[in-house]
Amino acid sequence: MRRNTKFLGLLMAGMMGVLAACGNASGEAEYPNGNIEIVAPATPGGGWDTTARGIQNTLDENGLVEENMNVSNKPGGGGEVGWQYLAQQDSHAISINSSLLLTNNLLGQSELTHEDFTPLATLATEWISVAVPADSDIENGIDMLDRLKEDPTSLNIAVGPALGNNDHLSFVSVADEYGVDVSQLEFMIYESGGDVLTALLGGHVDVATMALSESLEQHLNGEIEIIATTADKPIPEDESIPSWQDQGIDYTFPHWRGIMGPADMTDEEIAYWNDTFSQMVETEEWGTLLENQGWDDFYLDHEGSVEFLEEQDQMYEELLDTAGMTE
Amino acid sequence: MGIDWNSFLEGLTTALRFENLLFIIIGGFLGTVVGMLPGLGAATAVAVLIPITFGMDPTSALILMGAIYYGSMYGGSRSSILVNTPGDASSIAATFDGYPMTRKGQAGQALTLATLASLIGGFFAIIGMMFLTEPLSSFALQFGPAEYFFLLLFTLSAVVSLSRGNLIKGFISMFLGLMMTTVGVDSQSGVYRYTFDIPHLSDGVDFLIIIIGIYAVGEVFYNLLNIKNEDLKVKSDVGKVWITKEQWKRMLGPAIRQGPVGFLIGILPGAGGSIASMISYSTEQQISKNRDEFGKGAPEGLAAPESSNNAAGVGAFIPLLTMGIPGSGTTAVILGALIMLGMQPGPMLFENQPEIAWTFINSLFIGNIVLVIINLALVGALIKILKTPSKILYPIILVLGFIGAYTLGYNIIDFYILIIFGLLGLAMKLLDIPPAPLILAVIIGSSLEQNFRMANVRYDSFMDILTASPIAMVFAALTILSIFLPKILNYLAKPKV
Repeated sequence: MRRNTKFLGLLMAGMMGVLAACGNASGEAEYPNGNIEIVAPATPGGGWDTTARGIQNTLDENGLVEENMNVSNKPGGGGEVGWQYLAQQDSHAISINSSLLLTNNLLGQSELTHEDFTPLATLATEWISVAVPADSDIENGIDMLDRLKEDPTSLNIAVGPALGNNDHLSFVSVADEYGVDVSQLEFMIYESGGDVLTALLGGHVDVATMALSESLEQHLNGEIEIIATTADKPIPEDESIPSWQDQGIDYTFPHWRGIMGPADMTDEEIAYWNDTFSQMVETEEWGTLLENQGWDDFYLDHEGSVEFLEEQDQMYEELLDTAGMTE
Repeated sequence: MGIDWNSFLEGLTTALRFENLLFIIIGGFLGTVVGMLPGLGAATAVAVLIPITFGMDPTSALILMGAIYYGSMYGGSRSSILVNTPGDASSIAATFDGYPMTRKGQAGQALTLATLASLIGGFFAIIGMMFLTEPLSSFALQFGPAEYFFLLLFTLSAVVSLSRGNLIKGFISMFLGLMMTTVGVDSQSGVYRYTFDIPHLSDGVDFLIIIIGIYAVGEVFYNLLNIKNEDLKVKSDVGKVWITKEQWKRMLGPAIRQGPVGFLIGILPGAGGSIASMISYSTEQQISKNRDEFGKGAPEGLAAPESSNNAAGVGAFIPLLTMGIPGSGTTAVILGALIMLGMQPGPMLFENQPEIAWTFINSLFIGNIVLVIINLALVGALIKILKTPSKILYPIILVLGFIGAYTLGYNIIDFYILIIFGLLGLAMKLLDIPPAPLILAVIIGSSLEQNFRMANVRYDSFMDILTASPIAMVFAALTILSIFLPKILNYLAKPKV
């Protein structure tokens, strides 16, 4: 009997040892150990969707992720629906994010914020431009601000698709800095960047604030004129495009996109993605993707992104306050 | 800019290359099938294909996506005609006379007629695209908030005026639709309206769910109530496939007239096939000798919207190719895909890469012919659907409707919304309230409101909006005419004693 117990004890200890070893081995080497789901909080074909599919493609082609990856679309509520979904998944789901993650919360439209997720990387930025029709008599950024300072309702400003987005906020904060009464500004809100461009080309608005990638082509063709950008360096396609900095206003504004996972990811899981994304941004495919979309590389790893989101959150709070959009 | 024959010929040869022809055929077939299914439209089909186009030659990718888009234009009217369930928004008008033709036992002829009308419309549009691309894109730019407001108002009034003799019911239907478009975030102010804290509702209710609900689900409910009623049975005699000489004569005029109309409306960003087909249908009804047959299976009433819708589909590519501005949901998806492939549609496209543009235009031309062949070949198979017993057919429609609704938002809340609109559709059928004004109001209501409010920011008074431009004034006048002209004509026609 005694012998038996001892034997059993030994056996169990041995088995546990083996199990523990297995556990260790599989745990460390095997995250991810299932399908990776990339959540695009948008309909197929939109900006977030193409980013998600671009990431999937780049990771796959370069063998950076061996597991199966699939993109799932969860559109609605400016990202809210997709992020609600992500919050309920395990660490095998990741999602694209942007400043809407912060502003939805600050505007009281969402309970979720950056602290409810694990930021994994910040990937790219694009700059925002202010453009006028080619035959406009507005000469430059300062000329426009002077007019608005004198009479904030003198110009119709096109923006899309919603107030509180980066195009809107960056415009308001420059104007505010210059001393314009921003609460009086007359914005016309169009459904998409394409509609903003159409309105500008047709001369139905005086000014438009929109992504540089959306306005650049028409500017190069002489159909519209970009009078200011939020960039911190010259635009390679046309170095004569002035930034706000060039015009004496110390203002830059990156419109970033990043990627995050659900809350409470382990250090090991975070390390895996740090490693994966740092390699991804070096690949040729990623470079082409950035170039095609008109984006700039803006890679930050997990630690960098956590810090960056914290800073951005404070900045947006002030911005929305300036724009008079917080309660 | 005249036509550049060198690039044109080069484009024609590229479009005729074996792999590109294959893409036209595959895309056209796929598009036709997807177009038939309620809710599954070209936008979804193209989006699902995006990963496949990675690494493809951009020209071939454009051809493939164009063929799917175009195929779904042809396919959309199939289910309108056969089971009174539009495949997408732009084939609603095809139910008006297409389904009555089926009820009369002319399903085969209706399908053939719609296909030929589409061919005629598409043909005019492609010719227009070849010669008039540049002047037309500047025409589209003339449309500001005031012009759009009156265009949309005219579309609504044109559809309401279709419910002859019962304008009140038409207006009730329209107002119900307008009310529904107030759900969601109001873009001008950022205020949340009737969203009940459901994030999914913040973008409003997708109009496709309302279409599927009111038409497909409503139709199924109605038939469930009347399953033993023999009067409602569609004649299982599906008639001949080829149209008669008389039908040909009657469809030719409307198809030729409404092609250019649809094309012009299609060029306007944001307008598109649903508006074009409604306007064409109601204009033909106003001017036709056989006015009284409209709604009862008149060939004119099917040919006009089909020709117009197809032409509008081609027109929507003009702002995309020349300005990089998508004119519809599907062209927006195509634009996204092209940018991923490193191609930038826009003012430089015709200058820097004319061969791509011309290859595409030629592929549309070839696609049009290929699709006519595909669709005529399918007529025989499709009319068999009508021989399916109701007990099998209606559950299938219901399942397809639910699948379609799910693919729009990937959210089960849409199922409840779908059932609610199914019941509404049933109630409207029982009360004999026409669904078309409601659906159209849902599609254009929010643009109507937003354009009106933007016009108010830009202009000082309503008179200024009205007199903003000749275009605005013309559409304002047409709006009033479309409501009152039938009354005036009736009055004048009354024999005076």
